[in-house]
Amino acid sequence: MARPKRSASDLSDFEDPLKNYEKPSYADALERSLSEDPVTVMETTPFRTITPDTKIEKAMRMMVEDDLACLMVEDRGRLVGIFSERDVLNRIAEDFEAIKHGPIRVVMTRDPVYIHDTDSPAVALNLMAVGGFRHIPILDVDDRIVGILGPIRVVRYLQRFLED
Amino acid sequence: MGLRENILTDPVSELELRDLVPVDRKATVREAAALMRDHRLGCVVIVDAAGKPVGKFTERLLMSGLLKDPACLDKPVEKFMYADANPIRQDAPIADMIRMLKDRELRFLCVTDGGGKAAALTGPRGLMEYVADHFPRQVKVQKMDSKVYMEKREGA
Repeated sequence: MARPKRSASDLSDFEDPLKNYEKPSYADALERSLSEDPVTVMETTPFRTITPDTKIEKAMRMMVEDDLACLMVEDRGRLVGIFSERDVLNRIAEDFEAIKHGPIRVVMTRDPVYIHDTDSPAVALNLMAVGGFRHIPILDVDDRIVGILGPIRVVRYLQRFLED
Repeated sequence: MGLRENILTDPVSELELRDLVPVDRKATVREAAALMRDHRLGCVVIVDAAGKPVGKFTERLLMSGLLKDPACLDKPVEKFMYADANPIRQDAPIADMIRMLKDRELRFLCVTDGGGKAAALTGPRGLMEYVADHFPRQVKVQKMDSKVYMEKREGA
């Protein structure tokens, strides 16, 4: 069906819904990046994943050998948990010998808070600051893991803007 | 003044510093780990009799210690600690702290007072809180639960 033609009088009634929109202004490049860049500017790769059946001791060895503070737990392409040094302290240390051959799924943090790769660095930093999360997985639009953000990467990001 | 300028000029004491949990070097790894759990900290600072920092013990060291020697929990923390607490004066600019964290890839720094005594703990988390406080744009209306996303797309 043909779209009805608009007359000049119809167009004169048009009111731009964004007419009062004020473009944000930023004091410096850091503020602009925090607000407008995608979080992927913060070096969100590389990362390592394990499965829920990975043995606890093996996961811990991976973290020590690769100098990682956490691993993401993936099941059939979906993020199902995160395993971090904090989990070792809280759930493993006192019973290490008894549970080290068990699966990571019993000690991992389930359903971790995540962000999407289109979210801004400000969103990530706020979640980490307010929620107290040291690491935040980053997912794409199909909810597949594309990266992780941790404290060292945040520090590197901030440092970039302090250099002359 | 922008956020960058604030970071360059504000002292470390402007950050929301964490309470420091001092530990004697003769304390066991189990005692140090219990303190970290109780205080929700990733690190305790080993201090000498004068209260000056002489080392630190972190979650990372706990994990590697367990893998090397499962009996480490009953051994003195001094056998496993880092022999440097990475002190930073509370009047140093935050920018110095960021540089130190980046160059040495650290997660915890021991904040010292004018006399060099261990006074507080800080790290990237303190920086994130500072950014959140000093850069309110977007920050006040953030989602805190990832599940707030729509399950299905609405509209076109």
